[in-house]
Amino acid sequence: MRTGPPRLFGRQGERWATPLWVWHGRGRWIPGICQTQTRHTHQRTSLLSFWELIPMRAEPLRKKKKVDPKKDQAAKDRLKRRIRKLEKATQELIPIEDFITPVRFLDKSRQRLQEEHSSEESEQRALLLKRWALYKKQEHEAERDTITALLEAQQEALQELKLESPELYAEAMKRDCSLFPFEKEGPHHTPPISNYQAPEGRYNDITKVYTQVEFKK
Amino acid sequence: MAAPMGRTLLGVARGWRRLDSLWAGSPRSRHLSLEAAPSGSRSPWRLLGALCLQRPPLITKPLTPLQQEMADLLQKVETERSLYSDHELRALDEAKRLAKKKADLYDDDQDEQGITLAQDLEDAWEQAFLQFKPGARVTEADKKNDRTSLHRKLDRNLVLLVREKLGDQDFWMLPQVEWQPGETLRGTAERILTKLSENNMEAKFLGNAPCGHYKFKLPKAIRTESDIGVKVFFFKALLLTGDFSQTGKKARHVWVSKEELGDYLQPKYLAQVRRFLLDV
Repeated sequence: MRTGPPRLFGRQGERWATPLWVWHGRGRWIPGICQTQTRHTHQRTSLLSFWELIPMRAEPLRKKKKVDPKKDQAAKDRLKRRIRKLEKATQELIPIEDFITPVRFLDKSRQRLQEEHSSEESEQRALLLKRWALYKKQEHEAERDTITALLEAQQEALQELKLESPELYAEAMKRDCSLFPFEKEGPHHTPPISNYQAPEGRYNDITKVYTQVEFKK
Repeated sequence: MAAPMGRTLLGVARGWRRLDSLWAGSPRSRHLSLEAAPSGSRSPWRLLGALCLQRPPLITKPLTPLQQEMADLLQKVETERSLYSDHELRALDEAKRLAKKKADLYDDDQDEQGITLAQDLEDAWEQAFLQFKPGARVTEADKKNDRTSLHRKLDRNLVLLVREKLGDQDFWMLPQVEWQPGETLRGTAERILTKLSENNMEAKFLGNAPCGHYKFKLPKAIRTESDIGVKVFFFKALLLTGDFSQTGKKARHVWVSKEELGDYLQPKYLAQVRRFLLDV
């Protein structure tokens, strides 16, 4: 019996029945079943089982290029070397512009004439500074006393609350997480004008923005 | 000897009576009462939460003479130690040129300076400054002494006082409300805020703990064993936005600075309240 497609291999001496296209004759292939007891030891390439020898993949086999992985490896190495070099080099720090005096301010013509003060004036200044020191000391002490008085009042209130009910005391002693961060604009010199229309206009923001790139090791 | 013995015996008897009432209650009800604060043995003091709502100052206080002197001195010293600015250099150059022009009678075409002198610029700036009218530091409410408005005494802390009836009389006090079981005292204060201002009044509460307290015993006629007196706990809050809708003579509230508190509050209450208010 002639068969069209290559015969499938089976175990030695095994009876197997496979669906085959059978040549019927007169140029026709019909589905048929071939039942034979055959020995195919010379045709078998491995001792693997039946289904594993069947090529089940759908795509055609690829050609393996031996040079490509080497090229990829080389490119990766180059990148790693570059990264290491950059890491080793000291990072540029962001300059603090306030600490750098511009060159035009080093001119001598800019310097002011130092006037000499009379002895009376310097004495007046010294006395004013002394009075100011005394005033600030008094201010600081007053502030400190107010704060201690506030704390005392609060402690007394908490003691009274403790006598009343321990549960409410425990609640009062808990930290308030929503209190900080607390932002508030301070007092100005004049109050805001109602219905104030600010003058219209555009501005170009020329502030220099520095970025510092951090390299992870 | 006999009298104190009698008193202690009475005290012991009262204590026994209280214990009896405790044990009399079924175990189930006692368990529930423990869960709800305060615990089963009700304290004889009534708890009230009160709100010390403050409007922080909008403008700075005027400088005292010493402070003004010091400020002037510091400004002088700063200019003495500084370098000439571009504007000042330009002014000096132009002054020199003008002097030279006057000295030289023959003025050739050496008019290199621009049309605008530094002096002209300064004059223009001065004019612009004079044209701008900043907000008034002393407001109308200050002049009228309208204490119900918020726009008075912009450089001071203002505290809210409310007029309420206790028994027969009207008293001025910080707004207070009875504490309800199941809420914290700070919650009571927040409840006062929402009750007072039907319109939006936003305030920042400064912590969970009370800043002060005031306790008083009820008059002997009303006093009972289970109702000796009242304890009021004050909570501080800073007013952020919002105000009362009613102002004028009919309003039952007043915004008041620390010195003016004496006009409204009772002496003992005042003494306790002054302890926790800053002298700003």
